[in-house]
Amino acid sequence: MEWMVTAKEPGKTFLMQGNEAIVRGALEAGIRFAAAYPGSPSSEILTMLGHVAEEMDLHAEWSTNENCAFQACMGASMGKIRSLCVVKQNGLLTMGDALHTAALSGCWGGVVLLVADDPNAHSSTNEFDSRHQARAAGIPLLEPATFQEAKDMIVYAFELSEKLQQVVMVRSVTRICHGRGNVTLGELPSQPSQPKPIGEWDKLIAINWFHDLLWAKLDQAQAAFEDSSFNWYTGPEQPELLIITSGTGWLYSVEAVDTLKLDDRVGILKLGTTWPLPERLLLKYLEKSPRVLVVEEVDPFLEHNVASIIGHNPGLNIQLYGRHKKSALPQSFELNPDVVINALASVMNVTYQAPQTGEVPAEAVVTIPNRDLTFCAGCPHRASFFLLKQTLRIHEGNGVVMGDIGCYTMGGNRAGHFLLQSIGCMGAGINMGEGLGQLSRFGFGQPVVALAGDSTFFHSCLPGLVNARYHDSNMLFVILDNSATAMTGFQPHPGIPVNCMGKPANAVSIEKVVEGIGCPVAVADPYDIEATTQLVYDLIKKPGMKVLILRQPCATLAVRSKGRRKVWVDPELCRGDECGCGRFCSKTWGCPGNIWNYQTGKAQIDEVVCIGCGVCASLCPAGAIKVEGGQA
Amino acid sequence: MPGGMQLKTEVLATSACALCGACLDWCPYLKNIEDHLVLRFDCPVEHGRCYSVCPRTLTDWQAVNGRYMAGVPFDPDIGSFQAVYRVRRLQPINDQQDGGTVSTLLQTALAGKMVDGVLVTGSGDPLTPQPYLAHHEEEIRKAAGSRFLASPSLRKIIEAREKGIEKLAVVGRPCQVQALRKMDYNKPSDSPALDVLSIGLFCMWSLAWPFKDYLARTYPGLTFLRMAIPQHGVEVTTDEGIKQLSLETVQAYIRPGCRFCLDMTSELADISVGAFEPEAGWNTVIVRTERGRELLDKASAGDVLQIEEYPADELERLRRASHNKKVRGLKNIKQAVDEQKITPFVDLSSSPYQEIIAESSAKEGY
Repeated sequence: MEWMVTAKEPGKTFLMQGNEAIVRGALEAGIRFAAAYPGSPSSEILTMLGHVAEEMDLHAEWSTNENCAFQACMGASMGKIRSLCVVKQNGLLTMGDALHTAALSGCWGGVVLLVADDPNAHSSTNEFDSRHQARAAGIPLLEPATFQEAKDMIVYAFELSEKLQQVVMVRSVTRICHGRGNVTLGELPSQPSQPKPIGEWDKLIAINWFHDLLWAKLDQAQAAFEDSSFNWYTGPEQPELLIITSGTGWLYSVEAVDTLKLDDRVGILKLGTTWPLPERLLLKYLEKSPRVLVVEEVDPFLEHNVASIIGHNPGLNIQLYGRHKKSALPQSFELNPDVVINALASVMNVTYQAPQTGEVPAEAVVTIPNRDLTFCAGCPHRASFFLLKQTLRIHEGNGVVMGDIGCYTMGGNRAGHFLLQSIGCMGAGINMGEGLGQLSRFGFGQPVVALAGDSTFFHSCLPGLVNARYHDSNMLFVILDNSATAMTGFQPHPGIPVNCMGKPANAVSIEKVVEGIGCPVAVADPYDIEATTQLVYDLIKKPGMKVLILRQPCATLAVRSKGRRKVWVDPELCRGDECGCGRFCSKTWGCPGNIWNYQTGKAQIDEVVCIGCGVCASLCPAGAIKVEGGQA
Repeated sequence: MPGGMQLKTEVLATSACALCGACLDWCPYLKNIEDHLVLRFDCPVEHGRCYSVCPRTLTDWQAVNGRYMAGVPFDPDIGSFQAVYRVRRLQPINDQQDGGTVSTLLQTALAGKMVDGVLVTGSGDPLTPQPYLAHHEEEIRKAAGSRFLASPSLRKIIEAREKGIEKLAVVGRPCQVQALRKMDYNKPSDSPALDVLSIGLFCMWSLAWPFKDYLARTYPGLTFLRMAIPQHGVEVTTDEGIKQLSLETVQAYIRPGCRFCLDMTSELADISVGAFEPEAGWNTVIVRTERGRELLDKASAGDVLQIEEYPADELERLRRASHNKKVRGLKNIKQAVDEQKITPFVDLSSSPYQEIIAESSAKEGY
C-alpha cells in the first residue's frame, strides 16, 4: 500500500492501517532518516519506509538492535534532519540507557521514538507498558486514539521535538498499528531538508548538569499540552462520573457510554498527551466530578498520574476507579469493549445484559481442536529441535537448554519437544548458559546448550559470546541460522546481503565473527538429522566454549526461490499405527505437512503446505515417504 | 506384550540393557549413539516388538531352549551341545584374535551358499565396533579380531531385510544370540521371514565406550592396534608396543548390563566360538545345532581348519568358568531385583536358578 503513504493528495481520505498512518505522518513531517529493529506490532513501519526510501529520498535501516537504531537517529539528529526510531516495548527496554542519556543531552533535528506496545502480548513475551519509560526518562509522551491521530501526532511530535530540542515518544498499541480507519492526508514536503554543518563547539552531551533543563523542557511541553487539540471532553456539564482515557481506551469508553445510554450522566475526557499531563485541563474537569474512572492500556499509568494530581490538590474529593488493585478493571491483559462496558455498569450501578446471540443450530457447531503454536511445514527449526532433543536424551546426563527470542521460542512447545528450559529476553540464552556452564567446576555435570537465531545473534549475543569465550564457559552455543528475521516477517539483518531499501549490503559472516572471537565453530545442516545429531553429541562431550551454526534457510522463504519438490507416501510401505511406526511422521515429527488419513489408516502428505524438504522421508522407518528426485 | 514405554522403564532406564540392538531394528523411537541407547521420543504403540525381542525382558528361557535345541543334550553349565572341539585355521589370516575360526566359518557359509549375507562387527579401528553387512568373503576380513566395546549390531537386521537377504549369518555376543532367538520365537505372524544362522561368541563382559577415552587419555598420541585378554591381564597393542593393563582397571569399564548376564558361551547359538585358554592360536568351538554341525563340517572339508578333540580337563574348566558367570550373574540379578533396580528377566523362582542362587550366596561376586 506504499502508494497511499506517498500519495500527493492532501485533503483526501483513505482507509489506512495504523502503521501506514504512522509512516504517512513521518513522511509529512519530512523525515530523512529512519531506523528500527523488527518487532510486532511495529514491523510494517520500517518495511514501508524501506520500500519508499528511494522515492522519498530518505535513509531507512533495519539496525542491528534498537540501541543501534535509536542512537543512529540521535546521530542523524546532530545533522539537524528529522529521524524516526521505531521499536516495540521490549526493544524500548533494550535501548533504555540510550533513551535516558538522550533525554539529558536533548536533540537538534527532531527525533521521534515510535513505540508499539502489545497489550495481551499477542506477539510478545510480555505486555510491558512503555509509557513508564517516557516518564522515567523525562520526555513528552503522545498516545494516538484514532488512525487519524496516529498520522497527525507524528507530525506534531516532530514539531514539538524540535521546539523543545528533546526526544518525543509516541506510543501506539497493536489495535492501532494493525487496525484500519479513515485518515485524511496532509501535505508532503516539497523539498527534502538538508543536513546542516555542526560547529566546533556544538555538542550533544549527556551530563547530569542538564537535569534541571530536562524538567524545564517538560514544563514547556506541559504548557503546550494544556491547549492541545489531541485532548478533548465530551459529555454533560456536571457529570456523575468522569472517564479519563487515552489510546484505544477512548473508543471503548465511547462505546460503553453509548451502550449503557449514560451520555447524560457520564463525561469522557480523552487525552492524547499523557506525559506530562495537562494539569490545568485535568483540574477543570476533576473539579466537576466526584467520581473518576480511568480507562487505559495496560498499566494504571494515567490513573496513578491522575491520582498524583488529586493528591497534590487537597480541595479535591474524588473516588478514583481504574485498573489499580482491580478497583473497576482487570490489572493485566488487554481491554475490550465488553470489559469496559461491564466496568462502567458496575461503577454506575446500572444493570447490563449482554445481547443474546441466540441458539446455534447443532449442524453449525464445529468442533475445532486446540492447536499448538508450531513451526511451519519444512521449518529447519523443527529439525534442529528434533535432533537437539534426541542428542541430549542419548547423551548421559540431561542437557539444559536455554532458549531465546524468535520463531524458535515456539520450540518450548510440543513443536520443539518442550526442549527449552529458559526463555527470557533477546540475548538471555547465551548469558544464562555462560553462568550455568561455569558451575561445571563445582561438579555440575549436565551439558549446557544455549540457542539463538541469526538475527538475535547480531542483536544481542555478541557481548555474551565474548563473555562466554573469555571466561571459557562449559557450554555449546547453537545459532539457528535461517538467514532471516523470520518471526517478524523476513526483514533483513546484518547477515543478509540486501538491505531494507533493496540495496546491496556488506553481509557479515557469522562464522567469521565467531572465529574472530576465538571460539571453535562448526557449521551443519539441520535437515541432515543423522550426521548433525552425531556432531552435536561429539560437541557436547568436549569441554569449554563451543559454537555450532545450524544453517538452512527459512523454509517459507526458500520455497519462494527454490520451488517445491513433490513428496508422497507409498501406502503399501507405510506402517501406520503398527509397531515400528505409530504415526511417527505426523505424531512425533509433527510437521504440518505430515497428516493422517483416517479412511485408509495411513500417513499422507498435505500437498498444500508441504514444501518438499524431505526430512520426513529420512526419518520414516519404513522408507514409505518418497521424494521427487530422491531424498534431500 | 508391552511396548516401548515399558522397555524404557524396565530396561533402558535401568542398568539392565545388554546393548544387543535388537530393539533398534524396525523402530523409529529408539536410537543409539555409541553405547547410549534410549527411547528418544515417547512411543504410542501398545504392543512392541522391542519388548518382545529384548533379552532383558522376562522370558521362559527353558521354552526357548526347548524350541531351538530340540533333541540336543542339555548341559546346565554351557547349554545344549553336540560336541566341543579345539579348532584353528591352518593358514592364519591377519588380525585374527585366536584361531581365526569365526572368519573361516563365515567365509564357508557364504561360499557354500548357506547364507546370502553376514552381519559382523568390525571397522578399521580395532577398538571401535561398527556393525556392517557383508556379502562377499573379502569383506569379512576387516571384521577379524575381537572388539571389546559393546555395539548394538542387531540394529542392522532391518537393513538385511531391506536388502532382500533371506538367509543371514550373524556373529554375536550371547545376549545377541538370545535376542535373535526371541525375534523368531515371538515373531508376529505378519513379519517377513528371516532365516538366521547364529555364530555365538564366548563373552565374559563387554566394555562401555568411555574405555576408549581412558586409553586415549592414558596413552596420548598412540595408535591402538589390537586388544586381548590373556590369562595374566589385558594387553593393548599399540604402534609403540604392547601396553599391559590390570584386569581391575579394565573391569571398571564393564557395562552395568553385563553384570546380569548368565551366559558365557552363547548357549542358544547354532555354533559357539571362543578362545582356547591353554594355548594361543586355537579356538574352542561348541557345536550345538544341526546347522552348526553342517557349517563346521563344510569348513573342515576344505582343509582350511584343523579340528581336534577337546581335552576333557579343559572342558571341565570351561564348564566351571561358565557356571561361575551364572553364579555371579544371578547374585547380581537377585540383589538388583531385591533393591527394585531392575525387573527380573529370568524366573528367579525356577529350580535351576534357585540352586545357583543358593550357591552364590556363599560366594563373592565381582
